[in-house]
Amino acid sequence: MILSSGEQTRRKLLSLAGRSFLFAVTSAAALAVLAIIFFIARDALPFFRASGVGEFFFSKAWYPAHEPPQFGAAAIFAGSFLVTGAAVVLAVPPGIFAALCMSDILPFKVSQVLKPVIEMLAAIPSVVYGFFALTVVAPFLQDSGRWLPGNIEIVSGVNALTASVILGVMALPTIVSVSEDALQAAGRELREGSYALGATRAETLVNVVIPASMSGICSAVLLGIMRALGETMVVWMASGNAAQIPKPWYNLLQPVRTLTATIAGDMGEADQMTGSAHYHVLFAMGFCLLLFSFVCNLAGEWMVARQRKRLRGG
Amino acid sequence: MRMLTRKILDRAFTAGGYLAVALMTLFLLWVLVPIFVKGAGAYVFVGTVEYRRMMLGEFGRGNEQRVAAEWAEVQRAREPVYEAIAAFERELPALPVARRKELKPAFQAVREGVAVLLGPAPGKPLPALTRMIYGQTRWRQAQDKAANILFEETWDYSGNGSQKVHVPRQPLFEGTALAPVFPLLRKELRSLLRPRLTFYPRFLTDPSIDAHFFGGIGPEVLGTVYLALGAMLIAVPLGIVAAVYFQEYAREGPVLTFLRSCVNTLAGVPSVVFGLFGLAFFINTLHVSPGKSVLAGALTLALLVLPTVIRSSEEAIAAVPRAYKEGALALGAGQWRTVLTVILPAALPGILTGIVISMGRAAGETAPVVFTAAVSVGKWVTPSEVLSQPTPALSWNLYNLCTEHEAVEEIRHVQYGMAATLVLIVLALNLAAILIRARVAKRLKV
Amino acid sequence: MEDAKQKTKTHAEAKGFSVFYRQCEAVKRVDLAIPFGLVTAIIGPSGCGKSTFLRAINRMNDLIPGCHTDGELLFDGQNVYGGDVDTAVLRRRIGMVFQKPNPFPKSIYDNVAYGPRLHGNLSKAELDERVEESLVGAALWEEVKDRLNKNALGLSGGQAQRLCLARALAVRPEMLLMDEPTSALDPKATARIEELIIQLRGRYTIAVVTHNMQQAARVSDMTAFFYEGNLVEFAATDDLFTKPREKQTENYITGRFG
Ligand SMILES: Nc1ncnc2c1ncn2[C@@H]1O[C@H](COP(=O)(O)OP(=O)(O)O)[C@@H](O)[C@H]1O
Ligand SMILES: [Mg+2]
Repeated sequence: MILSSGEQTRRKLLSLAGRSFLFAVTSAAALAVLAIIFFIARDALPFFRASGVGEFFFSKAWYPAHEPPQFGAAAIFAGSFLVTGAAVVLAVPPGIFAALCMSDILPFKVSQVLKPVIEMLAAIPSVVYGFFALTVVAPFLQDSGRWLPGNIEIVSGVNALTASVILGVMALPTIVSVSEDALQAAGRELREGSYALGATRAETLVNVVIPASMSGICSAVLLGIMRALGETMVVWMASGNAAQIPKPWYNLLQPVRTLTATIAGDMGEADQMTGSAHYHVLFAMGFCLLLFSFVCNLAGEWMVARQRKRLRGG
Repeated sequence: MRMLTRKILDRAFTAGGYLAVALMTLFLLWVLVPIFVKGAGAYVFVGTVEYRRMMLGEFGRGNEQRVAAEWAEVQRAREPVYEAIAAFERELPALPVARRKELKPAFQAVREGVAVLLGPAPGKPLPALTRMIYGQTRWRQAQDKAANILFEETWDYSGNGSQKVHVPRQPLFEGTALAPVFPLLRKELRSLLRPRLTFYPRFLTDPSIDAHFFGGIGPEVLGTVYLALGAMLIAVPLGIVAAVYFQEYAREGPVLTFLRSCVNTLAGVPSVVFGLFGLAFFINTLHVSPGKSVLAGALTLALLVLPTVIRSSEEAIAAVPRAYKEGALALGAGQWRTVLTVILPAALPGILTGIVISMGRAAGETAPVVFTAAVSVGKWVTPSEVLSQPTPALSWNLYNLCTEHEAVEEIRHVQYGMAATLVLIVLALNLAAILIRARVAKRLKV
Repeated sequence: MEDAKQKTKTHAEAKGFSVFYRQCEAVKRVDLAIPFGLVTAIIGPSGCGKSTFLRAINRMNDLIPGCHTDGELLFDGQNVYGGDVDTAVLRRRIGMVFQKPNPFPKSIYDNVAYGPRLHGNLSKAELDERVEESLVGAALWEEVKDRLNKNALGLSGGQAQRLCLARALAVRPEMLLMDEPTSALDPKATARIEELIIQLRGRYTIAVVTHNMQQAARVSDMTAFFYEGNLVEFAATDDLFTKPREKQTENYITGRFG
């Protein structure tokens, strides 16, 4: 089939147009993230321009309704980090153990059956976790104070601990599945090398397999941190929402307030608030959250890339 | 000896693994079992005659004559209660002052309790709030309310610390005209309320009445469907086009790397930040609607699920055997035609899996719709209003009902019903995804 | 190789020994006595059960779900599959080198010290000594003695394989199993490994699987020929390659195989 040159040009043009269209749509989809950064920054800037960063990051006085309002978010940042930190500390050991169990201990069939369990844990909407925290965990925790050594009186079941436990559970699926992939990627040869030297399973896993998949596990933890830090509904419903730093700081039985909960809670009357200082400070918080998630994301990607390179290099 | 310690450590380690997996599974059960068990209570429960009256009065459902007949019988059974109250009211002014002072608040509590339990006394004007027109519609709650009449709840400070105690009211009224009420409430509660096993499947589709005291969660379900479908309507074409571009057209290079890392970054943006963006961009900048609307919420959710749709579509396209594509190209089909007639149909089940999972995610998300689409008023939104009107949604209204409702404890069954419905929708979508995936796996194996 | 023809003491012995992957019998009632201190080669076409048999000796197959055995496999007179056998102890006594070099992603030193650290409380000086001794034994010492703390993944394929051998030697095993130890290496590295096998002969009982008949002829005292899970012939290497008793063996070693 020989095409006339006119036909050929037409085809070329069409194909170019199609390609450009695909490129345009793809760019629009991908560049949405830049739009997000831009618009969050645009609405955060008026706050930083008016109040600077000193009060926001270092003062604990959060009185947005006072006249003049005070926007010291230090306690809120602390709350976010405390709850996230506790959640990760709670979730990482069982997460890694579960991943090890699924990759090396349980028979393949059983771990295939367990996969839906993890998928279900990940699929349950966060508001349902929040509801569960509020109606089941909080009363349970409040009751359990009596059974704890020292007969601790837990004033309220909605506190940093409840939020952390639930956040930990929500971070668990990410941690388990990403670590499991990393552990699987360490490969059978490496494991056999260790077993052949007379190592037990625990020794093989601890001395060889875990170090070999360390960066994958780290990125799993980072993703878990991101999930916990960005989670809104659970902390809003179950952390107590008191803008304070617990005393002592590790006392998880006190209520705290997080960035996400503050944004969600204070923007409630968003329509009336548009343009106010309070509106802009919430965007400033959103911008900080965005920054944290970028840092975690970059670090995670870097680690995955490093792991891939190292395993390929070996 | 050393070998023994090593063995023990190994066993302990294995036990740790099992423990972690067991913990995870148990936690899942701890979450799901109460939600499904109590959530089922919104659909199947023991309803009283008040429920049947309410259904007839508010929804026009049920057999009018039968309800009327039952109501007449119930009223006969209730007569002694009202008579005793009236008699005691007459008797009260005649009592000695001290006794009167003692009995009056307790009597008021009893009278109000009876109104809550059985509805307004006959002959009284009907209250304005629907919830007060009827007595307790659910047997479980009726029993609690009856207990509130029979016992006074106070705090005992005698021991160390304080303790809740329930003091029976009957002894207080011994010898007065009110005394017969107590045994009646204790022993004849069934004839006063006529509990009967009730199925209420239309909980799913009925509108709520009087801030969810009665009725169902229809408008919320509809809102969730609007938001999830709307989000997919926007995200799916975008996502598939982007996936096709990434897999079939893009050339390796800095532009591609940049676009890819943009998509990855989008996946990591916290959901509440999507909400902020939706507010700042779609509503305050583009003015897609005067205020919150289904459209703004769907746009926001679409962005949220976009990375998932792109990734799963890419995976599905990548899994299409090269031979298919080459076969089509060899037959002289252009690249466009190959994509449309060979690659996409072959990748469809995989793409569908991603879509279905994303839809579950969109249905369950709350934070992104708080500022962009959700309102707590449970009003139906018609399809013509989706472009301009906000909507109730299961996720947001669950939050609202369990934290900001004026009578959180009274409507637990609605909250559980909502939670169970939402979880069921999301899990059903995930199950569908698992089934599709299994079928794909089987097909590829053959 | 004169002594090969004499009757030597048996170190490992299969008696009516079978290995199954679920229902599939991969090694079929094999009777084979591996002599003490000599090099025994196992040859045969791909998929005939060489690896399966070799891995059965130190029970590496235990790691494969659904794999089970029948019959007896004796090591030093004791049934390897007996109830009281501890695989960790067994594998310490029977070292193994795999087809693909699999150094751990650790330093060269830590790779070699891995086994000794598991099994005994050696002092730092003793450990250093053991590492050196093993690396010397694997003819790697001269090449790596200045970079013991460098990551082992930086070694070349041949070096990595010798490191794996050093790693196996470091626990002072009595027997060494090698599953096609040179198939992933270039000819030069292959020659070095072959030299090593010959050097180690006498100090360790060695069983080496190879698909390379020249290699078997060069390094081994005894050769076993497997075909479709059966042990077809087991004889002194010289005899097997010059005057095979079985038709199948002859076909195989002359390359007329079909
Ligand atoms: N993990 C396994 N599961 C099931 N069958 C296997 C497994 N490994 C090997 N086999 C089968 O056992 C037989 C022998 O395999 P193998 O011992 O690896 O052969 P060789 O090493 O001689 O090439 C082959 O038919 C192979 O398909
Ligand atoms: Mg093999």
